[in-house]
Amino acid sequence: MKNRSKIAVAVVIVAALFLLWITTGTKGKEVPYVSVAELLEGDFSQDRFRLGGNVRAGTINISEENLLDVEFVLEQGEEGIVVHYNKTRPDLFEDGCEVIVEGKLISGEFYADNLMTKCASRYEGDLRNAENYELGEI
Amino acid sequence: MIPALPTLGALSQNLALGFAVITIIVLLAYLRKGDTRLFITGQRSALLVSWLTILSTVILAFELINSNFNLAYVAQYTSRATPLLYKISALWAGQAGSLLFWVFILAVYGLIVIYQNRDRNRIMMPWVIIIITGVELFFLFMTNFITNPFAPVDPGIVVRDGNGLNPLLQNVTMAIHPPTLYLGYVGFAVPFAFAMAALISGDTTAAWIRLVRRWTLVTWLALSIGIILGAWWAYQELGWGGYWAWDPVENASFMPWLTATAFIHSIIIQEKRSMLKVWNMVLIIVTFALSIFGTFLTRSGVMSSVHSFTASSLGPLFLGFVFLILIVSTLVLIKRLPLMRAENRIESFLSRESGFLFNNVVFIVMCFAVFWGTMFPVLTEAVRGTKITVGPPFFNQVNIPIGLVLLLLTGIGPLLAWRQTPRASLVKQFSIPLLAGLVTALMVYIFGLRGYPLASLALAGFVLATIVLEFSRGIRVRHRKFGEAIPAAFWKIIRKNRHRYGGYIVHFGVVLMFVGFVGKAFDQDIETVVKAGDKFHLAGYEFELKQISTEERSNHAAWIADLAVKRVDGEFVTRLFPEKRIYFHRDPDEHRRQPHSELDIHTTMKEDIYSVFTGIDTEKQAASFKIMVNPLVNWVWLGGYIFVLGTLIAMWPNRRRK
Repeated sequence: MKNRSKIAVAVVIVAALFLLWITTGTKGKEVPYVSVAELLEGDFSQDRFRLGGNVRAGTINISEENLLDVEFVLEQGEEGIVVHYNKTRPDLFEDGCEVIVEGKLISGEFYADNLMTKCASRYEGDLRNAENYELGEI
Repeated sequence: MIPALPTLGALSQNLALGFAVITIIVLLAYLRKGDTRLFITGQRSALLVSWLTILSTVILAFELINSNFNLAYVAQYTSRATPLLYKISALWAGQAGSLLFWVFILAVYGLIVIYQNRDRNRIMMPWVIIIITGVELFFLFMTNFITNPFAPVDPGIVVRDGNGLNPLLQNVTMAIHPPTLYLGYVGFAVPFAFAMAALISGDTTAAWIRLVRRWTLVTWLALSIGIILGAWWAYQELGWGGYWAWDPVENASFMPWLTATAFIHSIIIQEKRSMLKVWNMVLIIVTFALSIFGTFLTRSGVMSSVHSFTASSLGPLFLGFVFLILIVSTLVLIKRLPLMRAENRIESFLSRESGFLFNNVVFIVMCFAVFWGTMFPVLTEAVRGTKITVGPPFFNQVNIPIGLVLLLLTGIGPLLAWRQTPRASLVKQFSIPLLAGLVTALMVYIFGLRGYPLASLALAGFVLATIVLEFSRGIRVRHRKFGEAIPAAFWKIIRKNRHRYGGYIVHFGVVLMFVGFVGKAFDQDIETVVKAGDKFHLAGYEFELKQISTEERSNHAAWIADLAVKRVDGEFVTRLFPEKRIYFHRDPDEHRRQPHSELDIHTTMKEDIYSVFTGIDTEKQAASFKIMVNPLVNWVWLGGYIFVLGTLIAMWPNRRRK
C-alpha cells in the first residue's frame, strides 16, 4: 500500500473512532426534559430530570432556619409540583418567573440541585407598565 | 430631539435594501455584457448600500443616546437613568438593533474590501461584491420587514421613561463582548465571498490565498477576543464561578471558531504545497454557514439558554438561509472540482503535511462533538419524541481528551519537516521535548496529581519545550551568523518570519490556557448563611463577616458586605466587599425592582478567592454567601492576552515593496 492510502486509511479510522466515541458518549449523561404531567404519571424515582415551568405566584417559601432553603410550586398550566432547592438562587428568581430545574423526584416532590431562571420578559416587549406610560389622545 | 430623524433612519435602511437589489442586478448584467460602466455603477451602488446602512445605524445610536422613547426599541432597552455607555451598547442589546448592527459591521467590511480592491482582482471582485451584498440583503430584509428597530411605540401610548437595560448587561465587558463577537461572526462573510468568487470566476491563484488568509485571521482574532471576553464577563458577573458552561450560545460561537482554526492551519499547506484545496473550500463554507447557524441558535428560541431572546419568527428564515448557503456553495464547488486538483501528494506519516491533516481532523471532530451535544435535545425530540439534554458532563467527558490530543499535536506539528522527516532528525528533534514532558509528568505526579490534570500539565511541558526549542534554534543561527545579541536576535527572527513565530506565540498562549483549565478540577466552594461577627472556613482560609452597610447610588441601592479573609494560621489576606444591589429600587411596583449580586474577587496567579453576596434577610440580619476558591484562573486570561498578541504578530501586514 502506498503511503498516501495508508494515511487516508489512518485518517478515516481516527475520525470514525472519535465519532463513535462522541455519539455513544451521551450514555449516562442524558437528562430527559419532561412535563410535570409526564413526571407524575411515570415511575421515575431513580433518574435525573429537567423540568420547565413558572413559579406559581405566592408559593415561594423561604425556610425560617436557613435563608438558602426554599420551596415553591412549579406550574405548567393546571399542573403543579412542589420543588425543593437549597442552594444559591439566581437574582431573577421570583413569583411568576420562568425556571428550569434539574434534580430528582422523591415521593411526589421534586428535589432540585440546579435552578436556572429565564426572565427576559421584563426587558423584552412589555412597555405597558402603569408607571411608565400614559394614554395620549388618539 | 429632531423629529424627522427616525424617519430618515428608517428611510435610509429602506434605500439600502433597494440599492442592494440594484447592485446585484447591475453586476450580474456586467458579468453577462462585460460593459465596464456597469461594473462601476454596481460598485458605486454597493458603496451606497454600505453608507446608507451606516447612516441608519448612527441614527439609531443617536436616538438611543437622546432617549427618544417614541421608538419602541429605545423605550425597551434604555431609560433616562441608563449611563451613556450602556445607552450606546443598547444598540446591540436587543434583537432588532443587533440585526441592524450585524449589517452595519458587514457594511464597514464591505467598504474596506471595495476600496482595497479598487484596481485589483477585477475578475473576482464582481462576484465578491455580489455575495457580500447578497448577505446584506438578507439582513436588511429582516430589519426592514420583520423586526424594525425604527418601529414607533403603539399609538396612544406616550412613554415617560423606558424599561432600562438589564443590569447584568451593565458591565464594561458586556458592552464590548457582543461587538467583537459580531466582528468575528460577520467577518467570515468576507473570506466566504472571496472563496465563492474565486470558485465561480475560476481565479484560484496565489493572490486569492493571501487575501483569504489575511481576512480569516482578522475575523478569527475578533471571534477569539469575543469568546474570551464572554468567558471573562461570565466569570466576573454571573456569579457561578466559572467561565465556560457549554451553553448553546457559547457553543454557537465556538463551532465556527474551531472550523476557522482548522482552516488557518490547513491554508498553510495549500500555500506551501498546493494541496487540500477542496478541503479548504469546504472549511470556509462550513465556517460561514456555522456563523449564520450560530445567529439562528441565538435568535430562534429552539434552545433554552441565558442568551436567547424571546422566541421569534426569525428561526425559519435563518435556517433557510443556512441551507441556501450550503446548497449553493456545494453545487458551485462540485462544478469547479477540476480546477481544484492538488499539485502534490502527502508522502509520509512523519511529515508536516500529515501533522496538519491530523490537526484538522481533530478540530473537526471537536466541532462535531460540540454540535452533537448542542443539538442533542433537538435530535432526540425528532427521533424519540422526548427532549433529552446533555449538559457539561458530556461536553467535558468528550472534549477534554480531544483537547489534549490537540495540545499534543501543537507540540508535534512544528517538529516535523515538510514532505518527510528523516529518522535521524526525529530523535534529535523529539528527545528534549519528550524529556521535558516526562520530567513535568514526574514532578506533577510527586505533587500528587493524577489523570487529566497530570496529562495536561505533562503535555504543556512538552509543548512549551518545543516552542522554546524553536525560538532558541532561530536565535542561535542569527547569533552565530550575524553576531547579534540574544534579545536583538529574538526580535529579528520574529520580525523576519512573523507567520511562523507569531503562530508559536499563539501556541504558547494556548499552553498557558490549558494550565488554567487544569485549575478547574480543584475548585472548592461553600454556600452558607451568617450574621455579622460569624466565621466560616474554606480551603485553608477563614472568612469573617465584619458588617453589612447600605448605600444608595444613582441607579440602584446596595447592601455591601465586609468580609475579612485570613489564612487559618492568622495571616491577613484581603478584605472582600461583595454587594447585593437592587436596581430600579425607587419603582413603586415591587416586581419591577431588580436584585443583582455584584461579586468581589481577590485574584492572584495561584488562585482566585471569589465571593458572591447571594441573599439577605433584613429582619434577622442574616446574609447568605457563596465563596469559591478557584485555582489558576488567571492563567487562562494571561494565556488569552498572549494568544491575542501572537495573532497580531502573525497578521501584521508586511511593508509594501515598491
